[in-house]
Order: sequence, then structure tokens, then C-alpha cells
Amino acid sequence: MACMNEDGQWIVLMGLLVALGLFFLALIINQSALVGQTTAEGVLEFPKNDIRDLREAVFNYVDASQNTEVQKDIIAISLERKNAVVSFSAGEQQDVSGRLLRPVTIHYNNGVTEYDETVYY
Amino acid sequence: MSLDFLVGFTIFMLALIMVVSMVPGLLAGLESSGIDYDAVAYRTGVILVEDPGWPVYPPWEMNDLAHKDEIQRIGLAVSKETPNILLSTKVERFFDNSFFDPEDYRSKVIFGDIPYSYNFSLLSEDGTSYNNRTGSPIPPGHGYIRRVVKIKEPGVAEIDGSFASQYTAPSSNQEFIVRLDFGQLLNPSVGAAYRIDPRTEPVNVTITGFDEYLNETAPAPTNATLRTVTFWKKDPTRPIPQFTKIPFSYSTTDSSLYTLTIDGNPYDLTPDAEVFDDISLVLKPAATSLFTLDQNSILDIRFNLGDPPPRPNIFGIHDYDYNMTTVPRPDLKAGVLEVAIW
Amino acid sequence: MVNDSGQLYTMEGVAAGIIMLLTVYIVISTTSIYTAGDTHIPDMQLEQLGSDVLAMMDTPDTNGDTSELVGFINGNESEHFNSTFLTYCNATTDGTLDDLHMSASVTYRDGNDIRERQFVAPDDSWTGRESAVRVTRWVQLPSANPYGGVGVRAVLVEVLLWRA
Repeated sequence: MACMNEDGQWIVLMGLLVALGLFFLALIINQSALVGQTTAEGVLEFPKNDIRDLREAVFNYVDASQNTEVQKDIIAISLERKNAVVSFSAGEQQDVSGRLLRPVTIHYNNGVTEYDETVYY
Repeated sequence: MSLDFLVGFTIFMLALIMVVSMVPGLLAGLESSGIDYDAVAYRTGVILVEDPGWPVYPPWEMNDLAHKDEIQRIGLAVSKETPNILLSTKVERFFDNSFFDPEDYRSKVIFGDIPYSYNFSLLSEDGTSYNNRTGSPIPPGHGYIRRVVKIKEPGVAEIDGSFASQYTAPSSNQEFIVRLDFGQLLNPSVGAAYRIDPRTEPVNVTITGFDEYLNETAPAPTNATLRTVTFWKKDPTRPIPQFTKIPFSYSTTDSSLYTLTIDGNPYDLTPDAEVFDDISLVLKPAATSLFTLDQNSILDIRFNLGDPPPRPNIFGIHDYDYNMTTVPRPDLKAGVLEVAIW
Repeated sequence: MVNDSGQLYTMEGVAAGIIMLLTVYIVISTTSIYTAGDTHIPDMQLEQLGSDVLAMMDTPDTNGDTSELVGFINGNESEHFNSTFLTYCNATTDGTLDDLHMSASVTYRDGNDIRERQFVAPDDSWTGRESAVRVTRWVQLPSANPYGGVGVRAVLVEVLLWRA
């Protein structure tokens, strides 16, 4: 670079164009490759099994006549071990098409996925 | 000179760093096909294990060959509330190679525009009751998922000699009734994984040790005649509920609707045949759906053994319900399901 | 006095060296991130399998029974838990056994503290460098349980699962 010769500027310019072209191609291919990588990540990131598990735990809590200790257990351990803010409660029994069911509200938020549900159980 | 050089050099460095950081991404693009297969295998596994398929009522597995096109999606789960619990009738139909061809598996389970190759296999924990496999041999480099499942099997009402004291009574008409109260069977308080649902599972009635039910008075007979098997229904929500005989082609043998065997030989529902040891009736869900029953109906299966003078003493009503003595239901069977896609 | 006419050559040399080192560093570091990204697939498979196994162990075989999992946790039967879990986990449809290993712990609440108790210790294949996945399951224990003593309690069973 030092003691540069001023000749051959066309070659340098063409080199620059080719380099720019490669740069944009690389940019595009790079973006497309990301899609395949995130399929498995997407599965891991979405806490489907966690939410299903929580629902069952909440139904068990309702079955255990809404023991407040169980509710405290689930809320505290969720926050500590699963980094998820969880809240749930069951209302009074109502007549839903001939059956006595409680409206159960479940809220789940682990910072990425938020889940809210009201289910009659 | 130095300012120009520094500016140019900085731009060059920045560009170089960006390009270099893209190099691994460029290579990853070439590798992505293997990742894709695993994702497809995962998706297929979820559809099979966590979904009951579509249509749900009547369930897809009840469609015969002529109505195969009505099956939108094949799923093996008992219901959408019970992931990983498979229904035995769905499993049997799914692995029936005479029913589904490779194109069906691609369009109803795997989905996707590419004609993927597949291999589905299921093995129960005991190694014998379920050992199914369909698809081509698995090459290296396939996408794969393995799921642990439990399989629900229908119960069998086995009425053996131990029930004889309940159901022997001298009577003018020797009629034995097996009664299915749908209101009780389909009560949602029993979870879907343990429910007796005649709309999706076969009803299995077996009378064994028949000599216990014979009239002991001299001259003691060695057999009796099964005249007819008829189906009756009652809808308790009607103003004057009463049992009415269900119109049905009783004299046609159709193994997709029912099977009736007497001492091991097949018969239609008007057998007029001699019974020495046992009667076995399997009523398939396809037949139950013809009876237009709802969740309040009561279905009677009436075995008529009438005979003057009465040879059997059998008489009574056997409730097909959740009592483990009257209808012992098998435990859920653990198993493992594998999906390979390439 | 040092001659300063070669400054640009020196700068060029230093810059070239830095560029080379930087390139090597970036390529190596980003490549290793790429391989880490690839492990998401085995992770996903293991996590799904582990969740399935815990869910199936928590499903009673007949209506109204308590599940195997509740029995194991409540009775402190870590041996049984370990063998049952691995039986489910390692089964394949061609009858061969996979090579998965596990350790487990139970997290429970003691007053305002969250405590963890080792339930199944890792076996010899555990070196600490495995890419293990963690799967969890809520278990509701009946009163008179080893965690918290009196009254119905909920505990979190955590299983670490890896391929040796």
C-alpha cells in the first residue's frame, strides 16, 4: 500500500464491484440459512410441555380442594426453578350444561411465551 | 495521506469483519437439509401422538375403503386432552397396509410438498401385543423422533360361570341382556383415557362356561339354542321412554359391523345354533354409529335362548359399566413410537 | 536517532497481523457457535422424550389409581424411579436399547425457602461436559410425604438427561 502505483485503477474498481456483489450474495444466503437452524430452537423455546404440565398440576390443585400450600408451592417453585411467573385460581362452582364446574383461570409467562386460559373444570 | 488511509482502512476492516462473520452462515446453508428432516419427523410425531385425527365424530378410523377420502388427518391419540395415550383401534387401522397406501401417509400424516419417505414403528413394552412397522428400510441421515406412549385397549365383559348365581333364574323367557347406559359410560367425570366409549371402541361380550347356566333338572341338557341376538334402545329424555328394537340387518354377516362366534364358529345374529361352551359377540363402533345413539341413550344387547322346555336358566341384566368385575378393563400398555423421515 | 521513514510499512505489517489474527479468531468462534446451534436437534429430541417419559410415568394405568411417579417420589424409591425412567427412555422399536443416562432431583418449598434434594445421583458416565437437557414435572404429593411433612404439597421433579 505504501509507495502505491497509480496505474490499474480499473482493475481495482472491478475488484470492488465483484467484492460488493459477493457481499450482498453472502448477506442473502446468510439470512436464509437462519430459518433451518431455528426450527429445533423454536420447538425448544415454546414451553408446550411446561404449560400442559402446569395445567394438570392446577387441575390436581383444584381436586385437592384448592389447598393454598399447593398453590404457594407451584407459584414459588415456578419462579425459582423455571423462571416463569405463574398465577391461577378457581372460582365458585357453576352449572355448565348440567355439570357443576369451576372456572379455573391460569396465567403463565416465562418472558418469551405468555399463556392465559380460563377453563371449566 | 494518513486521514484518507485511515478512513479507507476502517471501512475495509469493517467490511472484512462482516464478510468473515458470514462465512460459517454460508456453510450452514449447505447443511440445512438434515435439519429439515428432523423438523418434519417432529411434526409428524406430534400429529400422530397428540392428535385424535380428523374427523373426530364419527372417528376417522371408522371410514371404510370407499370413504377413505373423508379422512383429513390421521392421529392416534384417544382425544386432544390426552396426549401420548393412543387408542388401539386407531393404531390397528393406522398400521393396516391394505387400507392405507404410501400416498395416504404422505398426505394425511406427514404433510408437506416434498414426497418424503417414512418409517413408522410401534413396539409395546411387553414386546408382543404391539409390534407394528410400516414404510421403507431406514437409510443413514434420516430425521428422527421417538415418543413414549401408552395404549388404551377396550374392555371385555367376560361373563363366566362365576356369575351363574346372579343370572340363573327359572323364567318363561330365557333372555340375557347386556345393558350399556351411555349416560353413565360417557359421563365426563371419567377421563378420556379410561372411558368406555362404544362410539370409538368395540363392545366385547363373551359368555363362557355356559354349562353353569344350564337347567340342572333331569333330564340335564348339555347344550342350549341361541335363537337371536337383538339390539334395543331407550332414550330416557323422551316423554314415555321405552325400549324399541333397533332396525338392523340381523341376518347379514358383516365383520366390519359385528362378529358373533358360538363355540368358535362364526354366525350371523339369528343363529338358531346349539351352544355348548361359549358365545362371543364383538360389536364394532361402525355398528354403534348406525344405531343413532346419543349420550343419554341406553343400548340393550339381548341374547334370546328361549326354549320349551327351558334348557338354560340364564336370565338377567348384565350392566356394561365401570365396575371392574362386570367389565374388566386392561391397564394402559406402555410402548414406544418412532418416526423416521427422509 | 531512529529513522522514521518506515512507519507506514510497520503499520501495514501490524495491521496485516491483526487482520489475520482477527479472521482466525472470528472464524473459529463463529464456527463453534454454529455447531452449538446444531445440537438443538438432539436437545429437542431428548427434551421431548424426557417430557413424554415423565408424563407417562405420571399417568396411572387404571382409572383412579395413583401414578407410578407419585408413588416413587412419595415413597423415596429412587432405585425404582431410575430403572423405570431409563426403561421407558431407552426402549426403541427394533428392540435394541439406547444409551441415555439420567440424574434427578426434587425441588420443594420449605417455608419461604426453595430447597432442592438429590433424588437420583448421576452415574459414572457423567463428567459435567455432556450437553444434558432438563425436563420437569409437577407432582402433587398426598399428606404425610417426605417433603414438608404434613398436608398435600406440590413438588417439582427435575430430571437431567444425557446421551453417553
